[in-house]
Amino acid sequence: MANNAGAEKKGFGLPFWIMLIFYLVIIVFPFIWILITSFKQTGEIYGNNPFSIIPDNPTMQHYADVILEKGIMRAIGNSLIVSGVTTIYIVIVATFAAYAISRFDFRGKNLLLGIVLAVSMFPQMIVIGPIYNLFIDLGWTNSYWITLPYSSITLPMAVWILVTHFNQIPLALEESARIDGASAFQTLYKIVFPLAAPGVFTVAIITFITAWNEFVLAITINSNSEYHTVPVAISFLRTQFEILWGQVAAATILVTIPTLVIVLLFQRQIVNGLTQGGVKE
Amino acid sequence: MRKMGFREFLFIVPILLLIGIFSLWPVLQSFTYSFFDFQLNDRTKSGLYLNERFNVDLYKETSLYVDRFISQDMETITDEEDKARAQEVIDQLNNLDEEFDKEEGVITISSEQKEQIEAAYENADATVQTLGDKYELQQEENLPLLVEDIKNSMIESNFIGLQGYKRALQDHFVLDALRHTLVFTFASVALELVLGLGMAMIMNQGIRGKGFIRTTSLIPWAIPTAVAALMWSYLYDGSAGVVAEIFSNIGLLDEPTDLMQTGAGAMTAAILADVWKTTPYMAILLLAGLQNIPGSLYEASSIDGANRIQDFFRITLPLLKPSILVALLFRTLDAFRIFDLIYVLTGGGPGGSTETLSVYSYKVMFGQTNFGYGSVVVMIMFVCVAIISTIYVKFLGTNIMDRN
Repeated sequence: MANNAGAEKKGFGLPFWIMLIFYLVIIVFPFIWILITSFKQTGEIYGNNPFSIIPDNPTMQHYADVILEKGIMRAIGNSLIVSGVTTIYIVIVATFAAYAISRFDFRGKNLLLGIVLAVSMFPQMIVIGPIYNLFIDLGWTNSYWITLPYSSITLPMAVWILVTHFNQIPLALEESARIDGASAFQTLYKIVFPLAAPGVFTVAIITFITAWNEFVLAITINSNSEYHTVPVAISFLRTQFEILWGQVAAATILVTIPTLVIVLLFQRQIVNGLTQGGVKE
Repeated sequence: MRKMGFREFLFIVPILLLIGIFSLWPVLQSFTYSFFDFQLNDRTKSGLYLNERFNVDLYKETSLYVDRFISQDMETITDEEDKARAQEVIDQLNNLDEEFDKEEGVITISSEQKEQIEAAYENADATVQTLGDKYELQQEENLPLLVEDIKNSMIESNFIGLQGYKRALQDHFVLDALRHTLVFTFASVALELVLGLGMAMIMNQGIRGKGFIRTTSLIPWAIPTAVAALMWSYLYDGSAGVVAEIFSNIGLLDEPTDLMQTGAGAMTAAILADVWKTTPYMAILLLAGLQNIPGSLYEASSIDGANRIQDFFRITLPLLKPSILVALLFRTLDAFRIFDLIYVLTGGGPGGSTETLSVYSYKVMFGQTNFGYGSVVVMIMFVCVAIISTIYVKFLGTNIMDRN
């Protein structure tokens, strides 16, 4: 951050602040507007004056509707289960794999890394047909088994971030553990894991958010509304015949709250995870 | 480094299984699908059938009736020669009945068996024709139809080789989808790069509230794309949408409804929604790169009397190039694969004017249940993605792999 001290001396003009405020307003504006809409009555949303900033007759009706009638809480529950399970098993699998890649010498290591990188690049649409047919054959549609194919979108990122982390942990500690007779698993569990905890935590958060946001697999495989996740449930609020913007707004606010909490609490870990993808030297 | 023994191998077993089953196998399977006329809603095509198959149940039923009807008419047939021919047909059918006695349902057959069945059909067809012309048969109308069913009980292979690809290259839906995808990708990534770089440089200044700006920036990235898309479809709505109203008031649109009801308007809307969602992400990626540029370089340049513009082109841009390329690679691939945003925001409309390759292939696969042709479109996407990655990796050199 040495450059920041130098930059501060130059001072900032009015255009700088205008641009900054413009940027923040554009990012936040849609949420503010949705928040306002969620308290407006349907008549007002479509009425003569749909763009007033303060609702004429504030109402909680839309919140009641999406919670009681549209079962948005069920969708939030499904999303918590699916994303939670995905996070747990992906963190475990990715930790073992990344440790092996970082510490063991084996043939095909570069091939494995190359495949992981390629999987993160190919279009998700390519797996959807065969996975759908597989799930139909196994009778796994409309169930929580959907967490397994979530690996194709979360695992590569997780492995990539963790390999970078493990590479930064000095080998010396493990060597001394090995001399003391610890097995590979003990070394990972007792020495490396505590040291890598921040990285593992970052991976957990990013995996959780990625799984929480997944849409194509969820809408294709779990088409039954009992198993709808948040993005799917929200997309179904828009039907062919009517769009109740008040309900859409209320649902959007409800489902954004968990995301907001995660971002507020863990923004540092998220930024670390995102930039680990290859930007840091 | 530890050599890998059996215990160490156990560390990578889970990832091999997961990647193998849920990533690599589906890719190979999609590749296979693309060579078949694989359609779930058509019973004769609802699988990958390399060989001819034979519907034994249909055949047995048909043969039973043909046998019975011809036998009924044996009295009517006077000519000995015709009688012999009729008997031959019955014998042939009975032979086949015996051969497939133990089979049921739909089975695969060898090419010899196929010829045998074809011969029986042709003979039966010709014989029934002659007999029908010559004599007054009791079932004269039904017999030829029944005989047709012998042929129908043979199901052709649905292997079509490269025909799907040939069709796709001439399909204007595919070419339009490719064009929309490229327009969307190029426009959104270019805008995001320029705006993201600007924001990263602003965030890199030592100002108060940096944490607040960074947190705010993460929100659009963190909310589900489908949710963001629905949110924007409200803001873009012709009668209740505030953004459509603003655009119309400042003269960008004649009517607020034009935004989502014209092709160019809907594409612009989709691009702007994507820019809103991912510019902050781009800014954060680039910010990390900016923070790695040593401040001493700027100090040296200011002693030499360089201004900010020179700083930017001589120091910032060249040193940021690797970060920019990595960010561009990820963003280009994401934009090229765009699905959720378009699917929820416009559904590909109006009139298919925002249909990207992902949306089109999804509609073919799950709307028309044509997995064969849908997979062809997906494979075309796959090739495009491979080309894009190769170009970027060429520029990046081997940086990505070398680090590990």
